[in-house]
Amino acid sequence: MSHARITRRRLLGAMGAAGAIAVLPGCKKTGDQAGGGGRIKIGLVVPQSGVYATVGNEMKHAWELWLERHGGVLGKREVTTVVADEGESPQTGVPAVQKLLQGDQVDAIVGIISSAIALGAKDMVAEAKKLMIVANAGAGAITGAAKNPYIWRTSFTNAQVASVMGKHLAGKADVGPVYVIAPDYAAGGEVIRGFKSTFEAGGGKIAGEAKPAFGKTQDYQPFLTGIQSSGAKATFCFFAGAEAIAFVKQYAQFGLASTIPLYGSGFLTEGSAVLAAQGDAALGIQTTLHYSPELDNPANKEFVAAWKAKYNDTPAVYAVQMWDAASVLNRALGTATALDGDSLSKAMSSVGTIDDSPRGAWSFDGQSPKQKMYLRKVEKRDTGTVNAVVADLGDTAPVA
Amino acid sequence: MTWSRRRAALAPLVALAVLAAAPLVLGDYATAMLSRILAFALLAASLDLLVGVTGLPSLGHGAYFGAGAYAAGWVATHVARSAPVTLVAAAGVAALVALVAGSVAVRARGVFFLMLTLAVGEIVEQLAQSWHGVTGGSDGMYGIPATRLAGVALTDVRWFAWYALGVFAAGIAVLRCIAVSPLGATLRGIRDNEARMRALGYRTYHYKLAAFVIAGGIAGAAGSLLAAQQRLVTPGDLGLATSVPVLLAVIIGGEATLWGPCVGAAIVVVLRDVLGPSLGGHGPLLLGVVFVAVVFALPGGLAHVRSLWRGAAR
Amino acid sequence: MPAWPAWIDVHFISLLNGLAIGALLFILAVGLSLIFGMMDVLNLAHGVLFLGGAYTAWWIAGESPSWPRFLAALAVAGAAGALAGTGLSLLVARLARRSHLDQALLTLGLTLIAADALSAAFGDDVHTINPPPGLDDSVSLLGRAYPVYRLALIGLGAVLATAVHFVVERTSLGALIRATVADRHMVASVGVDERRVKLGVFAVGALLATTAGVLGAPVYGARPGLDATALMLALVVVVIGGLGSVRGALIGALVIGEIESLGRAVLSDLASFVLFGALAVVLVLRPRGLFGASTGARS
Repeated sequence: MSHARITRRRLLGAMGAAGAIAVLPGCKKTGDQAGGGGRIKIGLVVPQSGVYATVGNEMKHAWELWLERHGGVLGKREVTTVVADEGESPQTGVPAVQKLLQGDQVDAIVGIISSAIALGAKDMVAEAKKLMIVANAGAGAITGAAKNPYIWRTSFTNAQVASVMGKHLAGKADVGPVYVIAPDYAAGGEVIRGFKSTFEAGGGKIAGEAKPAFGKTQDYQPFLTGIQSSGAKATFCFFAGAEAIAFVKQYAQFGLASTIPLYGSGFLTEGSAVLAAQGDAALGIQTTLHYSPELDNPANKEFVAAWKAKYNDTPAVYAVQMWDAASVLNRALGTATALDGDSLSKAMSSVGTIDDSPRGAWSFDGQSPKQKMYLRKVEKRDTGTVNAVVADLGDTAPVA
Repeated sequence: MTWSRRRAALAPLVALAVLAAAPLVLGDYATAMLSRILAFALLAASLDLLVGVTGLPSLGHGAYFGAGAYAAGWVATHVARSAPVTLVAAAGVAALVALVAGSVAVRARGVFFLMLTLAVGEIVEQLAQSWHGVTGGSDGMYGIPATRLAGVALTDVRWFAWYALGVFAAGIAVLRCIAVSPLGATLRGIRDNEARMRALGYRTYHYKLAAFVIAGGIAGAAGSLLAAQQRLVTPGDLGLATSVPVLLAVIIGGEATLWGPCVGAAIVVVLRDVLGPSLGGHGPLLLGVVFVAVVFALPGGLAHVRSLWRGAAR
Repeated sequence: MPAWPAWIDVHFISLLNGLAIGALLFILAVGLSLIFGMMDVLNLAHGVLFLGGAYTAWWIAGESPSWPRFLAALAVAGAAGALAGTGLSLLVARLARRSHLDQALLTLGLTLIAADALSAAFGDDVHTINPPPGLDDSVSLLGRAYPVYRLALIGLGAVLATAVHFVVERTSLGALIRATVADRHMVASVGVDERRVKLGVFAVGALLATTAGVLGAPVYGARPGLDATALMLALVVVVIGGLGSVRGALIGALVIGEIESLGRAVLSDLASFVLFGALAVVLVLRPRGLFGASTGARS
């Protein structure tokens, strides 16, 4: 290769690099793109691709429904929504949040299903001094050990939901040793810890524990065999979405459904698509959660009716969490003096009790909800299977 | 000095000057993207040392990138936030992993080597998923503190971009030195005809291993840039999700030219991360099309476009 | 009833499940093995063919298929697979003068395109499919329940293995295949149209992959990312069993199936390390695999 050729290539390289950079969007510097004077720009971070796409879609619908029924304003400010795809993992989710903060210059961020993404993005949000309302991610650390004043949550903590079932099962005389199984990631670990803390404190015995690989396990046979040979008389599990469908179906296929009753954190049977796919395999499963579409209170009846009318489907807990996020933001904006993170965070701490929520009245305890937990059981109705509300297990504070 | 020699010396300086000036005119988001591109470009250039110069096609190079990223993140969280420390730690750990993996992998050739590097990559990714205590498992290592250079925390996007540019330039300089040195000539000889090199008396295994370790170490250095920029490392940064795009970047850009893979890396990052979301998440589709087009129409990648023109004109 | 050793009683279902998974893997991997053995082309698109078959099952058969729809899905997937294999073969043949690596990379690029196209067409959700009626129940074996569909898979795998073995060992077509694996240039010099044989093998290999996708759908469903899992497992099977060997593909598939079932039951996370570790060990010590052809011109 001649020296001259290398030279020309290097020039080509320099031009290519410069050209590639010029193509990048966001060449404007910080312009006046933030909402000001009667407007507010909200960044909606929900999965639009990957395994959580349906849940993300439901949350987006909830946001849109709230805005539709309230004139498109939050706290008297006209709302512009920018949607970013959270994807499946922090590899896509964290850049999505970064794009909203730096590229689109939003005033606040709402959404986030995955705890990993919430934890990965929270420092970025704090440094940008913007408000973030987490509408699903359940890791305790988000509003616990790793909290900062800009991150608020309208959903739950993993341990909160699981500890209620632990207490309930400990109180049942005939439950026997319980096998605990949840996917191997942070949320799964927190659920197991939350369950065990109240269950064992109440005198319960754990027969065994397993953590299938998260997102990669499709065949649960090895674990189901493990449950059968452990001598367990009941199983407590935590799965959501596609994993919940696969686990519940295989639980029945391998004969455990009739011999070892299955209990779970509510996400196991949450969502009309999940229930429909599980079919009869889900009948009789009892779960704890802070919501069920079957709840009998006026706010919920109105909410479910509005949802059915617009989307021809039944809402799930994800929709309610996002609905409440809009509702809470609306209240906060009513008293906030400015749109930066510090003012909004201050306003959030004085919203008080949210008494018109479809899940029943709740309030913030720290930066996460203290709310009623319900015991639900999957029963058959004319329209299909539903999570019937069996008992009200009382107000539960967020557990880290 | 002839004009062509002057250009040979000036061209990289011009490129460097353009890249250094870029953060001054670009917005925050674009500058952050630039840092990502620089990290990925260094990774691609290091892979080119293996693929283009030595003829060892690796489909598991992400493992060393990720190992370096995890090491840098761990050191920044538990030991010291100083940039040189995390950089050296990252390169060192990655080179060590490359030594272990390479001692086994370089015994194979061609497609078998490809599959072996694939297997190694999967093992390393599985290790990152299982070793919760150190790597944080499938959720990744989050909350990595900002790197500090000479006592100043690099939280400003622009300062970080300049730091990344510095590391990138240093890495490229090292790779270029190797490429033009006798070592580079030996590696190219091994690529072209290993049997003949052995007949000439070269211990080809050791040379291939050396290339593997150097490439791995520089990949680790690139990984430290990722950890510092994203403040988060996940098992996906180790596995096929990184190994495939970086190999594509090398092929698209042009093997055996160090700057070709850099351009390829820019194309891959732009298509996947920048344009991807606007394309409804279908960045990979466009990437695949570009890649197939290059494989068919431009053997040797974009870097050899000029030689094709020249060849056609003759 | 004899007293089974406690170990077998506990792990009997896992052992059986390993056979079922192994049967599925055999159907998937035998095509890859033959393609690699005959043409030295590492068909990295094999996984996405499997995924295509799975999506076809969901699309045509739906979530609760009836027999006609399930069989229709099999037929459509098979035809689509044969078509895709032919297309792949022609595209790869265009790079015949380039290195085998370039051909493998071509299949990689095509995989990216196909995987994203499937996502665009079928969405990103995870789809589940029930087995067809009659096979959707569970049967009691030694006091434990086991899904009938997976037993059917074992049966089908055995039938297919016998059929493929018969074709490869007893027919003239099989002789041609074995000859091409052993020494492709000699076969060409004898006057056989190499291209037709390559096209045929690629088409049949792809057809088997998509069929495996349909058959696997009631077990694995259809989801983005399944193609990478399927490709990795198929690669491990082919490398361990031996390139170009049907017997090797069968043994390899059964071994990997047991690692995935029994291995995961006993070792949990370590099973993955065993899997890829085995791949690495075989590649270093015996790249031909356990049953791979020991002779043969390799370029």
